[in-house]
Amino acid sequence: MLVGTADLETFARGAPRLDAFPDSPLTLPGVELLQATFELAGSGVESLFPPGLHPTLPVLAVFAFWRVDQGPLGAFTLAQLRLSCRSGARPRQLLVSSFVDGEPAREALNTCFAFGARAARVELARFYDRAEARVSLDGRTLVAVHAGAPLPLATSDLQFFASVHPAHTPKGLRLVQIDAEYALTRAERGKPVLDAFDAAGFGMPTLRPAWPVASFVAIGDVTLPRVRFVVRPDVLAFEGTERVS
Amino acid sequence: MRFGIFYELSVPRPFAPGVERTVYENALEQVRLADALGFDTVWAVEHHFLEEYSHCSAPELFLTACAMQTKQIRVGHGAVVCVPAMNHPVRVAERAAVLDILSGGRLELGTARSSTWSELGGFEIDPDTTKQTWDEYIRALPRMWTEERMSWQGTCFSMPERAVLPKPVQKPHPPLWVTVTSPGTELDAAERGIGCLGVAAASYKEQERRTREYHRRIQSCTPVGAVNENVATLNFLYCHEDAAVATRTGMQMMGLFGLANAHLLFTREAYPTRAYGSLANLAPGPGPRGREGSPADASGVPEGMAIGDPERIIRAIKEWESIGVDGVNFLLNAMEAIPQAQVLESLRLFAREVMPAFAKGRGR
Repeated sequence: MLVGTADLETFARGAPRLDAFPDSPLTLPGVELLQATFELAGSGVESLFPPGLHPTLPVLAVFAFWRVDQGPLGAFTLAQLRLSCRSGARPRQLLVSSFVDGEPAREALNTCFAFGARAARVELARFYDRAEARVSLDGRTLVAVHAGAPLPLATSDLQFFASVHPAHTPKGLRLVQIDAEYALTRAERGKPVLDAFDAAGFGMPTLRPAWPVASFVAIGDVTLPRVRFVVRPDVLAFEGTERVS
Repeated sequence: MRFGIFYELSVPRPFAPGVERTVYENALEQVRLADALGFDTVWAVEHHFLEEYSHCSAPELFLTACAMQTKQIRVGHGAVVCVPAMNHPVRVAERAAVLDILSGGRLELGTARSSTWSELGGFEIDPDTTKQTWDEYIRALPRMWTEERMSWQGTCFSMPERAVLPKPVQKPHPPLWVTVTSPGTELDAAERGIGCLGVAAASYKEQERRTREYHRRIQSCTPVGAVNENVATLNFLYCHEDAAVATRTGMQMMGLFGLANAHLLFTREAYPTRAYGSLANLAPGPGPRGREGSPADASGVPEGMAIGDPERIIRAIKEWESIGVDGVNFLLNAMEAIPQAQVLESLRLFAREVMPAFAKGRGR
């Protein structure tokens, strides 16, 4: 079975610090979400993952955007790029890049969850016929997507998966598992189009999101709960999963 | 009780030259032995693009080889994916009829709609449509086999009047099945009068509920053709005189299969849709409590699994029989984890010690 082959030292160098595991959940009310999914092209996808994870075949590149107008962190917009994988037999998404537009929120998310989010302009706009999202940094577009042909779905038709991301935690270098909980009131599926993608700007110059899969727009409350599990990045999850007390 | 063997034809990495051929040749040797030992059916799935998990993309060819090398065992073409981008219904009917002729009337035809994005996405199939296309296929196939000429005006395909040739040997036509993964599909099977080919692990309790519902519902079915009222389940088989050896070896096989299965990209993971209600995990996961709600016994083997010494396996299958299951199909290996000689010995021991404890039969 394919397992990740990313160099652990490089992986460790880029990992943010998490000085303490968050001890209380964070609920963000009325979040507008856009998620656009593309299949990755090219061989060697295992090099994107640490040895503790397995890539799916194909690997999905998941661009997730959240627009939050109010709540404990104030107004902010977040963009994340995640890659589909398995931790042991469990479906997971490896979070490889985060951007936040809104400094207090960025600082709080980085401190509490070690997202390692960079400051950038993140835009998400929703219309009746399409949704658009964009991340730009210093006037350069890192990613721009839009999703058209919206089709109403039941909120239960959407499937979410825990993300994992590397961080230097009190337990050492670990993949921190975030099991975000979604209480949604509206959901629509659409067809995604990747208008622009600067792989180098995401720090992953070989990444080639190629084939559109699906997108969805949803509205609802999102809760980032306390961290319950971390996983060692160097061994498979059966051996390397640790509970956070 | 009918016993079958079931092939995904998993191929372990690295994909060295010859490894796929070895997997196919091992399987054919197992089929020849199973035929001689009195097993009832050999099933082969249809999967595409599922690296390692299943390299069985042309099951009709594999099953033709099986038919040509055996005398009694029935060949289960199961399941054919019933979506036009993969298989036009006329081609399904034609291939099935040829296989029925070449095997001397030994064909069972399973139907399915595929559960992974790897496959559906690879053929650019809209997951929203697969239930509809499956329904259209299973109504059309019996007519193609039984009517001299037929025409069809449908949603997923249409055709002017033509003779679909050849016709199958079995009259009125080969038994039809549908693979059952998610709860509820057994009712789809019952309502159409076709067999319930379990390919998902279910606990005794869950299977009993499904079987009871199936037999109740099929009494008032609208049959698509000749009624096939049979329920078969999928299992693993590793039989050894030494229960500890059996457990160790069988659980390794089961764990590897479960892990490979867990790495498939299921449709719902990629594509939000109402047409796929669950992740449709087809296999037990690794570990001693591999199946949801399915407790393990002291050996660590989940309930109902045909892994152990002959006595344990007889007990497990007797339980399946008591809840109304008509047949059990066995996976004999996964990723070639068990050496071929041991697989063959497990089959022989099963035939010698376990089979005699069960009456042979076609079910209903």
